[in-house]
Amino acid sequence: MSFFPSAAWLKELDEKHQLFTERLEDPLAFEGGQFHFSAKDNLCARDFQARAGSLILKGYRPPFDATPIKRLRENGGLLLGKTNMDEYGFGSFSTNSAYGIPRNPFDIERCCGGSSGGAAATASLIRDHVALGVSTGGSISCPSSFCGVVGLTPTYGRVSRWGLIDYGNSLDKVGLISRTVRDIEQYLPVIAGPDHRDPTSQVQPPLDLRGEVRTVGVPEEARTGLSPEVAGAFEEALRDLQRSGIVVREVRMPSLRFAISTYYILATSEASTNLARYCGMRFGAMNENFDQGFNDFFSDTRSRDFGTEAKRRILLGTFSRMVGFRNKYYVKALQVRKQIIRDYQKVMEDCDVVLTPTMPFVAPRFDEIERMKPLEMYQADYLTCPPNLTGMPHLSIPCGYAHGMPIGMQAVAPHWQEGTLLSFARSWEGSFHYRFPEVAE
Amino acid sequence: MDKETVLKVARVARLRLTDEELERYAADLEDILTAFSVLDEAPGAEDFDLGPIKVEDVFREDEVITSIDASELREVMGTKEDWVRGPRLS
Amino acid sequence: MKIGLEIHVQLPTRSKLFCGCSTGGDAPNSMVCPVCLGFPGSRPFLNRRALEMGVLITKFLNCKITDRIWFSRKTYFYPDLPKNFQITQYESALGFDGHFMVGEKRIGIWRVHLEEDPGRVKRVGRAGEEVSLIDYNRSGVPLVEIVTAPDLSSPAEARDFLTDLIIELRRLIGVSGEEQTMRVDANISIGEDRVEIKNITGLKNVEKGLKSEVTRQTKLLAVGKRIVRETRHYDESRGVTLPGREKEQEADYGYIGEPDLGTYRIGPLAESMVVPETPLVRAQRMQKEHGISAQAARQIVLTDWELADLFESLSRRVGGDTAMSWTMGPISSGWKVLKANTDGSWKKVTDIVEAVSEGSMSDSEGRLRIAALSGGHEIEGINNGPSTDLDGLIVRLVDQHPEVVKDFKKGNEKAANFLIGQVMKETRGQFASKVIAEKMKRELGKRV
Repeated sequence: MSFFPSAAWLKELDEKHQLFTERLEDPLAFEGGQFHFSAKDNLCARDFQARAGSLILKGYRPPFDATPIKRLRENGGLLLGKTNMDEYGFGSFSTNSAYGIPRNPFDIERCCGGSSGGAAATASLIRDHVALGVSTGGSISCPSSFCGVVGLTPTYGRVSRWGLIDYGNSLDKVGLISRTVRDIEQYLPVIAGPDHRDPTSQVQPPLDLRGEVRTVGVPEEARTGLSPEVAGAFEEALRDLQRSGIVVREVRMPSLRFAISTYYILATSEASTNLARYCGMRFGAMNENFDQGFNDFFSDTRSRDFGTEAKRRILLGTFSRMVGFRNKYYVKALQVRKQIIRDYQKVMEDCDVVLTPTMPFVAPRFDEIERMKPLEMYQADYLTCPPNLTGMPHLSIPCGYAHGMPIGMQAVAPHWQEGTLLSFARSWEGSFHYRFPEVAE
Repeated sequence: MDKETVLKVARVARLRLTDEELERYAADLEDILTAFSVLDEAPGAEDFDLGPIKVEDVFREDEVITSIDASELREVMGTKEDWVRGPRLS
Repeated sequence: MKIGLEIHVQLPTRSKLFCGCSTGGDAPNSMVCPVCLGFPGSRPFLNRRALEMGVLITKFLNCKITDRIWFSRKTYFYPDLPKNFQITQYESALGFDGHFMVGEKRIGIWRVHLEEDPGRVKRVGRAGEEVSLIDYNRSGVPLVEIVTAPDLSSPAEARDFLTDLIIELRRLIGVSGEEQTMRVDANISIGEDRVEIKNITGLKNVEKGLKSEVTRQTKLLAVGKRIVRETRHYDESRGVTLPGREKEQEADYGYIGEPDLGTYRIGPLAESMVVPETPLVRAQRMQKEHGISAQAARQIVLTDWELADLFESLSRRVGGDTAMSWTMGPISSGWKVLKANTDGSWKKVTDIVEAVSEGSMSDSEGRLRIAALSGGHEIEGINNGPSTDLDGLIVRLVDQHPEVVKDFKKGNEKAANFLIGQVMKETRGQFASKVIAEKMKRELGKRV
């Protein structure tokens, strides 16, 4: 993953960039309520390939629009393009894509975070742009934090998942990433709401953008394991909040330590069934060796075109639901999730949001990532996994900078209370000075 | 996780692993499952739901609705005389 | 011998179980959409009617209804299965522990659940090297799976069970009676180990397949060999079971819940449902209520539901035996036309039978009149009940016509016909002509 740019590569990149900026600067393109947006590549859109970062979907052109894309298009949105991501959302650094690795706009030696890394980088680079991201276990919060932008992950079921290429159906959420809360506030009502193509979108109460935060709860468990930069920026942010009159309350959430395991078991169990359909037939990478027996035919395509992390998660997920292990892992994880939701609900009786840093460190360098073991990578999600597991809405917003790299904090609100998060972020945005990467200025 | 188990899981998932992959995944999964044994200590609810929010009794009515012409879907699938081509069944 | 069946019945909904595609596809891959093709980003949405039909069947089969159900993903790889998992029910089924009566024998029902059908696959090419061609029109069509206890004790009994079950389901939810509506996996054990015969289409093949398996197993046991626990297929053309074509490779379905669908409270739904009377239940009731034989009751009910309606209303007026002989005789012989002509109103027919039964109409006239209804011509009359005072009318007419009495006295019996005609005209066919003639002659005789 080391970075040796070639002249040809730079030239190609330059041409792409020029094409892109010309389109953005076209004065006719965005008149009267029109706007541009991008979509993470696991959201289906006509006129674009939908590859979800995977070789096995190479060349797949979906015959329909994902509901969030359809709604943005119907409301004057121009879909500029699809953003790169970890294959199927499997990763925290966007290094697991079959189509190159997005680089952090603040430092191209560092990652964007993941799995919506391309989305966060795009939002960071382009002014007035809104990026559709998707989070299963932290894939909006993490890259938003690393790229210094605001990322909202709505309540599970708030935004239709029709047209979202599944990772873990009980965890996947479509959300928004942008430079400011203002943009998110504008576009959330467009993409939210019941959809007759997604049953889980049908039970939501109406979206209420109002809300008020007087008390934030900070779990003791979330203050350990942080890098000094992150710890420093977060404590500073807490002091700022207190100065502005918000009560900061220490809370205990012991069940948080079970969140990572619970999350990975549920997410991979579901993912391993979702990914069964990719087998060289019907869509994506097509296997033409029809004279093979079906088991060989399927195994060939899958072994060749799934990436390393995808295979790892398929193995983990398949194992977790196999006879003899299913109760110990899959069923137990379902029960623990319910317990963690109850713990959150209990804590939230005494505070309006739960606040933590988003990631325990700033965006790591690619050489650091290369040295990390899979388990260490999974464990880096220990602050973003819990709210994702519970389906509660959460928002990552920049709260400081260290050596030029952004640091984010993450607020979690009770189910359906996106308004509380937006109001919290609005008032924070009022006094906090954002920085954006130089290239875009 | 021992290699034999990894191989078995891989067969169930229709994945063929190289020796190097087998080596690597066996070690990774061992690490991961050891860490996940923390769940044995976790208090779980008696019951469970399939998702984080309550989704109950959501239906569609029994109506025939066509939103995409089947020919467009057949084109994506690369059908031969409208049949989808597949491998041998043995 | 123990036989247990897993029966898959196609539910007659308009649209598929989880999408809006029609269930009646003709050209290959013409009734398909992203959901039933498993395209990335599609998701299932449950058909209310399919669930209602499933719950009704479960209640009908006397199962304990599960209060809250969900669906599960059963993962296995096969070209006819678009997602390489099937949405079915695993821990949660619609209901458990029911029963179904075949005659006097109670057959246990272990469970009933809903699931989606895979596509239809055809093999093309040289034998042994066939590639597959798949039509996904059937993919996502709703099936109900009924699993019986191993309570059946012969292939013939298994066939009787299926015959009776389909009769009931046809009436209950309107499943088509065609052979291919029902696909069966049959488990059979003669000795200790059980053999499963997979995917048999149609009732006749179930019996044939089981018979050939009984023969095979009996022969093996006779020479002291063991029966191997295995899955076999029934080869319709050769009439024998063969070992499974595919090596059962690492079958581990790894069931997980289907998170896209949520849960369904079917307890209250089942509570609110009334199971309508089905043909064989009705036959049993008719047997008791009208005192007729089981065979006769079954025959009437199976001939036509409305014939049974007619029989029951007749029986209430003229008794079971009489109703039975009329129903199975003159009424059923011209049944189709009779049914069409009378347009669901049986009053004309019941009036005739009742008139005959009371003696006010001759048996042959009654038959004639019903035949006339069956032939499309109604004989005028029998509009009102027999309210006229026949005897009084005859006395009055005889009094008014002394010339007839005179002629009759002279031995001209035919002279009476004039008066008989008058009475018939006056009473508009309320009375059998035979009855009128007898009474008339008696009255005339008195005057002699």
